[in-house]
Amino acid sequence: MSLTHELRNLLRSGVHRIGELEIQADVYGYPYVICHHLDAELSTEPALGGLDHHEGPEAARDLSTYSEDGSYRFAKGQTNLKRGWVMTLEDEAELRQALDQFYPASLGLDVARRKGSLEVEHLRDKLNRQTGMYRFARSISDAGAQDLVRKVCGPAHQCARRILWQIDAETPLEDSEASRYAGIPGDLPETEAIPLLCREACNHFVAECRKVAKAEFEAKQAANPG
Amino acid sequence: MSIAPKPQSALLIVGHGSTENPDSSTPYFDHADEIRRRGLFAEVHCCFWKEEPSMREALYMIDADDIYVVPDFISEGYFTQDVIPRELRITGPSTVVAGKTLHYCLPVGVHPSMTGLILRRAREVAPGLDPAQTTLIITGHGTGLNQNSTKAIRDQVDQILAAGAGYAAVLDAYMEEQPFIAEWDQLAATPNVVVVPFFISDGLHSYQDIPVLLGIEPEVGPAASQREVFRHNPHHLRGKTLFYSSAIGTERLIADVILDQVRDFDIAHRP
Repeated sequence: MSLTHELRNLLRSGVHRIGELEIQADVYGYPYVICHHLDAELSTEPALGGLDHHEGPEAARDLSTYSEDGSYRFAKGQTNLKRGWVMTLEDEAELRQALDQFYPASLGLDVARRKGSLEVEHLRDKLNRQTGMYRFARSISDAGAQDLVRKVCGPAHQCARRILWQIDAETPLEDSEASRYAGIPGDLPETEAIPLLCREACNHFVAECRKVAKAEFEAKQAANPG
Repeated sequence: MSIAPKPQSALLIVGHGSTENPDSSTPYFDHADEIRRRGLFAEVHCCFWKEEPSMREALYMIDADDIYVVPDFISEGYFTQDVIPRELRITGPSTVVAGKTLHYCLPVGVHPSMTGLILRRAREVAPGLDPAQTTLIITGHGTGLNQNSTKAIRDQVDQILAAGAGYAAVLDAYMEEQPFIAEWDQLAATPNVVVVPFFISDGLHSYQDIPVLLGIEPEVGPAASQREVFRHNPHHLRGKTLFYSSAIGTERLIADVILDQVRDFDIAHRP
């Protein structure tokens, strides 16, 4: 079944949220309408509640690139999606294209998870395949990595993804708000939302691992000079 | 040159991307939009090294079992020979990965049709300039990580010289390798110098770093979308007249070069 069909089935089953996006069907004759979930009520009012109206998925790149204060959202799981707009879409194919821009591959990742075909990669596997300037990230300690998850991941640090990976196959993440987070902003049950999944550590996390690994190395050098 | 429609295949454009500069990935999306409009593929997607979706995630968003992978990179080097094959698990021209066949095309920058785009860019940025009084410098990153990274630029220099475009000199120069672009005024003997950055995007390197090396900017400034640099051509610096163009990859016709690489792949590997 194509991802477009999978999306249609998910919507029919009651799913209406992905990340901070609310997905509504059949609003004033528009087959699909998406907006920030906090603008959902407004979007069903006449004239789409006065929200900035974008027809078709093309504006999704701009809307997903900058937060309200103009900062760059390089990680699309960030919980700072801009408000004040609404996007109308003609069919599931356009909807899918828009969703893949706001939350790249998230639909496909969740469909794979539901089918049991999602391959998760643990942190050590991700770090051990780094080359070039990121090779040094490999040397981070388990403790350093566990601490970094608490400092970098989860909604407290503006990331709405559900972490699926562990440090390695035998070492789960220590319990924290970040490791527990379900990947669904706004307390919806999983029957109503496509969760944002983190199947392997992102590049931002790898870059932070490199910094910690360097700090650990320097601390060791300082402790054992010569 | 056109290619036959491939309604059973997907096109996956691979870009570098940036966690710092929001303009970095704009050209990739523009190239994807342009090709999507032509309706040649069942699906057209982008994936990135530094942005989302990552290369490994990208395969989850594609329905088609037949995928052409085109690196939207300017050279064969560290990324196209090491990083992309590793991340996509590509082991040859065509590789079956998770039930899908990935066809790995050459990067856009090594295609011969890039020469015409560079000359066009150089003429646009300095209209009416006498080429006999002008040095054309193609500039790139350069890296110790892979010896091939500068080859695409040196090849372009050779092809432009062979094309007889009339420039007094055509040179290559790099950010991190000799000859250094920071020494552009010493490299060029002519009063006029046109510098074309052989990068895909007006991102961190071509928009923010190189203007500092050229002396156009005193320090690294904000991203292109927050400001304008290229409109101030020419720059009177170090006793010469300097014209600095936007990155070659921002050219809309790169979409054609992506399709050229798909066609060339078929000719070489799927006759």
